Amino acid sequence: MSGYSGSEPLSRTAALDANASGRAAPVSQSHRLRSGGLIDRQSPLQFSFDGKTMTGYAGDTLASALVANGVKLVARSFKYHRPRGIMTAGSEEPSALVEMRTGARREPNTRATTAELYDRLMANSQNRWPSLRRDFMSINSLLAPIFVAGFYYKTFMWPAKFWETVYEPMIRRAAGLGKSAELPDPDHYDKAWAHCDVLVVGGGSAGLSAALAAGRAGARVILCEEDSRVGGRLLSDGGDIDGMHAADWLRRATDELASLPNVRVMTRTALFGVYDGGVYAALERVNDHVAVPGPHQVRQRVWRIVARRSVVTAGAIERPIVFPGNDRPGVMMASAVRTYVNRFAAMPGRRVALFTNNDDGWRTVEAIQRAGGEIAAVVDPRGRAPAKYQAVAGLRDVRVLTGGVSDVKRGVDGVRSIVVTGRNGLTQQIEADCLAVSGGWNPNVGLSCFHRGKPVWRDAIAAFVPGDAPRGMTTAGAANGEFSLGACLRDGHAAGVAAAAECGAAGNAGEAAEACDDIYAISPLWQVKAKGKAFVDFQHDVTASDVTLAQREGFESVEHLKRYTTLGMATDQGKTSNVNGLAIMAEATGRTIPETGTTIYRPPYAPVAIGALAGHHRDENFHAWRLTPSHHWAAELGAVFVDTGLWKRAQWYPKPGEKDWLESVTREVLSVRNSVGFCDVSTLGKVDVLGPDAGTFLDRVYINTFSSLAVGKARYGLMLREDGIVMDDGTTSRLAEDHYFLTTTTAKAGPVMQHLEFCRQVLWPDLDVQLTSATDQWAQFSIAGPKTRDLLQAVIEPSEDLSNEGFPFMGAREVKLRGGIVARLFRISFSGEMAFEMSVPACYGEALARNLMIAGKPFGVTPYGTEALGVMRIEKGHVAGPELNGTTTADDLGLGKMMSKKKDFIGRVMAGREALTAPNRQVVVGVKPVDPVRRLRSGAHVVPKGVIPGPETDQGYVTSVCFSPVLAQWIGLALVERGRGRFGEIVRIHDPLRSEDYEAEICNPVFYDPEGVRQRG
Amino acid sequence: MRIACPFCGERESGEFTYLGDASPKRPNFAVDSVAGPEPAEDAFYDYVYLRDNVAGVMREYWYHGGGCRSWLIAERNTVTHEFGSVTAAPGAGATKLAQAGE
Amino acid sequence: MVDYLWNAQSPLQKELVAGRHGVTAGQAGVTLTEIRGIMLVQVMARRGKAVETAKAAKKLFGVEPPSTPKAVIGKIATLIWSGPDQFLAFAARSADSQFGKLAEVFAGIASLSDQSDGRCLSQISGPRAREALAKFSSLDLDDTMFPPGATATSSVDHTPVNIWRDANGADGEAVFNLLVFTSFADSLWKTIVASALEYGLEASSAHAE
Repeated sequence: MSGYSGSEPLSRTAALDANASGRAAPVSQSHRLRSGGLIDRQSPLQFSFDGKTMTGYAGDTLASALVANGVKLVARSFKYHRPRGIMTAGSEEPSALVEMRTGARREPNTRATTAELYDRLMANSQNRWPSLRRDFMSINSLLAPIFVAGFYYKTFMWPAKFWETVYEPMIRRAAGLGKSAELPDPDHYDKAWAHCDVLVVGGGSAGLSAALAAGRAGARVILCEEDSRVGGRLLSDGGDIDGMHAADWLRRATDELASLPNVRVMTRTALFGVYDGGVYAALERVNDHVAVPGPHQVRQRVWRIVARRSVVTAGAIERPIVFPGNDRPGVMMASAVRTYVNRFAAMPGRRVALFTNNDDGWRTVEAIQRAGGEIAAVVDPRGRAPAKYQAVAGLRDVRVLTGGVSDVKRGVDGVRSIVVTGRNGLTQQIEADCLAVSGGWNPNVGLSCFHRGKPVWRDAIAAFVPGDAPRGMTTAGAANGEFSLGACLRDGHAAGVAAAAECGAAGNAGEAAEACDDIYAISPLWQVKAKGKAFVDFQHDVTASDVTLAQREGFESVEHLKRYTTLGMATDQGKTSNVNGLAIMAEATGRTIPETGTTIYRPPYAPVAIGALAGHHRDENFHAWRLTPSHHWAAELGAVFVDTGLWKRAQWYPKPGEKDWLESVTREVLSVRNSVGFCDVSTLGKVDVLGPDAGTFLDRVYINTFSSLAVGKARYGLMLREDGIVMDDGTTSRLAEDHYFLTTTTAKAGPVMQHLEFCRQVLWPDLDVQLTSATDQWAQFSIAGPKTRDLLQAVIEPSEDLSNEGFPFMGAREVKLRGGIVARLFRISFSGEMAFEMSVPACYGEALARNLMIAGKPFGVTPYGTEALGVMRIEKGHVAGPELNGTTTADDLGLGKMMSKKKDFIGRVMAGREALTAPNRQVVVGVKPVDPVRRLRSGAHVVPKGVIPGPETDQGYVTSVCFSPVLAQWIGLALVERGRGRFGEIVRIHDPLRSEDYEAEICNPVFYDPEGVRQRG
Repeated sequence: MRIACPFCGERESGEFTYLGDASPKRPNFAVDSVAGPEPAEDAFYDYVYLRDNVAGVMREYWYHGGGCRSWLIAERNTVTHEFGSVTAAPGAGATKLAQAGE
Repeated sequence: MVDYLWNAQSPLQKELVAGRHGVTAGQAGVTLTEIRGIMLVQVMARRGKAVETAKAAKKLFGVEPPSTPKAVIGKIATLIWSGPDQFLAFAARSADSQFGKLAEVFAGIASLSDQSDGRCLSQISGPRAREALAKFSSLDLDDTMFPPGATATSSVDHTPVNIWRDANGADGEAVFNLLVFTSFADSLWKTIVASALEYGLEASSAHAE
């Protein structure tokens, strides 16, 4: 492959294949140079744009291939639908946004300048109808005076009701840029972590120097580069480094970096975020450059990089000049013209005019002439070529005009001629088919400003450079305002050495490479004031007059300027517009640019696909899930599962022929209450509370006493928050002198564990107690119903005494199961039936379920799910999550008597506050609709009969509901003001959300077996 | 954001849970105080609700729940997010203390 | 009378499909093996008894438990640091009453909790193991930063895990052990497999030795 040899003139045979007729007839690669460029001419590629098939080469971007094919018009602008072309050659591109791919992979707003060409690439222009050339919406241009900055705030306001019905749908249809795919994304994405000592951001001359220095010194280095190859401007502008051509130096540097095992070079990887603590985020476009990723390959990957130090060598971005017609297809940044010519061997035009206010722009003259093109004129406010170019032969015949470009005249193919206004005010028209523009260079300060650092203005280069950077970050090279190749190499090297040394790597970093130090002289020229639209923000169609309008209307601060005009708010985030906008506002307000200030920079630096941020965690993998030990067995039985936090719990087990969930759940409840059933309750939190002070510890955590609990007994416990509100409840058993087994609700397992650890480590470090989670260690089943003992006797060793005397209510101990394993048995009842809970080590959970089915077959044993579990506990008036809702006290729940008066415990003092003991508090009661077929709904409000429902008359709400097979009607629990004194009272259930209103009776929450006879049998 | 757990080393912030200001101390009142409930309620009201919101360095409780499950006291600058010292709570591990509290 | 079967079931019974997954060309970049039949006991020194706990451990295992995040191989178990003054004792599950033995030795000195079924153990190795791990672990697992014997209590998918590194395998590649909570095992196995598909993954199940 032939690299660009910087100092060697290209032969004249690399001239263009001129089309004889002079008209723009479609010729394949009409603007491709015959030789040169970093493209692979052995690999031609077919692609299509707006349905037209064209050819390019491997190594092209979509933009360079379009340039090579003579395509100038590629887009329509956002607001005014102005015809637009390719303005840059990099990720800062504001105008050339196309729709890439079709079908499920269709992606709008892709910068043609960064889309790598691949075979059969399909791209389309967007934001136009019916076609790019004849866009109906360009009529907007005629309405331009209405669409100025701030028009959104001033129009569409009257009549008010038109907003939702007329204006909003209309705007929604007209607004936006591009259409995304309407099918699920078929690609996969990844996320990954990386660690290093020194992260170098940007692989141009400064970045390569920094990576070499740090790598040689022995530091762990990651060098990330957004382009598909390292080199930066070296790939387009060449130069002489260490006495050899830039291409050769580049090859050597790349080889050396590849040979260092402690250096990792990541191309196609753009840094987009800088976060606290040395954490950085980058997007790797792993397979954007192929049609479809290979099997098991991801499309993109988000990296989180932890770096002790970072060196930002992200270069600088050339800025436009603001003048009428500066957005026409064919107007291109001067450095981009050089990139297309030198790196991609594609000519943006044959007769190129140059408008520049600085020395760097002049390099374009050389590049065009070497490629066989003509320079129409150079317009430079300074009036003459920079000293170093004056001796160059090709410049002798070049016209140099003092002044500024004041208009661009276009034909159907873009620029036809430019109008130049001299210092004397006289104008002249110059024919040209491309206008290269250079208004100066803006160091890429964004990353260094992500932590609210403000950049600093440097007059010498008329640009901002980084000010305070985030901790651990330094900037080098053009990103730091150093524009000569020699300075970039030195600066990068020094930064790499310093960063490595700060990480303890002080090996021999060698010497910085050497190159000449060009002087960069600039005469600031921000805008040429003349008639016509002069664009500042190309992507959001913000003009110079929008900026001055904002100033006239009082929006002078940069933050107001930004939001009022939307300047800098598009997907390019103002990379080619922010500074120009500031300059115009500065002039309008009589301030300097630094006085005008800058807006706050925020990540991401460039757009990041949501899919990449999600990575593997999407759809069913959105978050981790937890399965109970009997899950697969339940699934086998056809159980319907519900998500309870991260857990999947069997909700009910439908039998064939059952018409709905209500039928299944009702059957399960009746089976339990009439015979026996079992439910997997493994999800409840379980904690081993161990040590000599375990009992004392629990006394301080629970409202009731546990130090007095005998070994082999269980007790229901309630714990409060320090503010007196109930936090959680559970059954805690004492398995040994120094071993308590604490349970929590499913939802609160994590928070309670954290709370217990806080109590142990912070509040009472004098107590000798140890804690560890045992939730996953045990499979736990609730076995309930009048036949429970019969069932258990079938699986438990006959030597175990399960009688009422042998295993009394609230007993807890180990039992041997038939066949050898040991289980724990707890006689507790949530359902109100004769019941036990049995736990076995988790690996035997499924076996236990199967064996209970076998053992229980004679009794018609029924597995039951969370719905039936819920029905039974509501029938018994047992409070659960909906009642422990973060607003209720122990007394509200009817458990006030459990609060010990003899010991201190968390929440004791605050629970006694007046408001929490007031007699009119809402307390747990039962409710049942007067009409027995009426369905009760939770969330419905309780108001007295005969009043208008409202906040003043509201007396509470329904917390839990179920259809009770026992009472054969819907019942529920509710929190009702002074409820305990109102049993029998008829109230109004008011449900405005469901538009329902009916009468219900307040009653004892224990609907079933209020004496508790069944569970104590 | 990275937090340097004194036991585990520097870790990603997602492993930790933030609780709040480590300065307030849980008041200690006898259950049957002759002074009545008011002094205790006042003290607990401050303990539960009142917090200084310092723009600068604060000492905070952090829980390394996604790691070694130790409670930590971290100095953090609430403006710059920089962490200073991070030490373990006095009762982490098996430390034996003469009396309750720090 | 019915003979009840008490077969131990792995939480990975459904999700673990033995064999090659993902890219099939060439050698598998990642080997993922579930290690079944483990004994795991959480040992937490009682207050003021850290030194006694270490002594008791030395007597039973021949080594003191690590006081920093390391895993040390003892006579009948590997001791894995899991927090200040606590460790996990890990061994292959055997017929004899291992927990009983530990309970005897540590009586009054340290509190114990049997976690043999509360965790699921997997081993990850192979030339691309670190790259796969980097997708779901935020730890720095570089060769020098996480050498053989290093251990960490950390998170994967926001769930607690223990990771420790064995001596390198016969192929010279790093070997990592990952201990996850049983209820999360199904979900995390899927995450691990997904991370390794592009490198070629060989999945299997084996018994602890």
